[in-house]
Amino acid sequence: MTEHITEYPGTPLKERDFTEGKVLYNWWVPKADYAWDAGVAIGKFLAGLKEGKILGITCPQCGRILVPPRMVCSDCFVPTDHWVEVRHTGTVRMFSITYVTWDMQRLEKPLIPAVIELDGITPGMGFMHLLDEVDRDDVHIGLRVEAVWRPAEERTAAITDILYFRPLKEETS
Amino acid sequence: MSLTERLRFFHEAIAWKGEIPLQSRYTVGVAGERFLRELRDNARLIATHCPQCDYTYMPPRLYCERCFAELTEWVQVPPRGNIHAFTVMHLDLDEEPLAEPEIIAFVQLEGSDGGLIHRLKEVDPDEVYIGMPVGAVFREEREGSILDIAYFRAI
Repeated sequence: MTEHITEYPGTPLKERDFTEGKVLYNWWVPKADYAWDAGVAIGKFLAGLKEGKILGITCPQCGRILVPPRMVCSDCFVPTDHWVEVRHTGTVRMFSITYVTWDMQRLEKPLIPAVIELDGITPGMGFMHLLDEVDRDDVHIGLRVEAVWRPAEERTAAITDILYFRPLKEETS
Repeated sequence: MSLTERLRFFHEAIAWKGEIPLQSRYTVGVAGERFLRELRDNARLIATHCPQCDYTYMPPRLYCERCFAELTEWVQVPPRGNIHAFTVMHLDLDEEPLAEPEIIAFVQLEGSDGGLIHRLKEVDPDEVYIGMPVGAVFREEREGSILDIAYFRAI
């Protein structure tokens, strides 16, 4: 219906009405600081990253290893209880190639976000990270990858303590 | 069945800190614009009147909230009235203590059915009462803002 409306009722304003002082207005820059609570499980996961460990948690009922960890098993609804360190290698389960950043800046070199299922954890689990040191044409589902870590002294207990994942040069299992 | 782990100390909690960049430009609308320009240029308060409802809107409205008629009748109201409600503030917006308490009052303006919320000064908080007659003090330098009224004071 709206496509038939050529003229909207109201008092439209143009940018120059503001710059030329034709309209009175209030200018307000609210301070919108926030702190997002990571919670018990993700908090411990992030603290582990700072120490160069990837932590998962085991469900006592179904035995699944959850990475990223959750305090309650999403399948059994029972509290998870046993923390384990998992390996830093895994498999690409999903990926995307993007030439724009989150705030829509154009990129010369694409970002390749991917969901990585780490070795040893329950199939189907995984977390999102970036791939690098790889040509976009070589990325495929099933690509074997390893974590590249930020130097220990620069880590901040954030998911970015892992810089990115890169293709595994040679299997050492 | 209870969770086997919980945080015992605040420092164990990890929080992701950030800031949302927000900017806002607020225009007061057609009636508000006319009200503020009159305030800026002539230090006068104007309201709109609905002849059908015999109701005078302050701050002015373009449409009657009772009968929805468009309001075209503008009237000047005197810059004085009575305190309808007030509060004494001891904290600022960031909840920091104020050096001196501030009084915010809703002033019912004479000759209108509405009024303005504004600061009340030159009066001790203990002496303020509902119904107290007050008048507006206009700024010398006005820029088209409600703060062109510096404050209200007892008359």
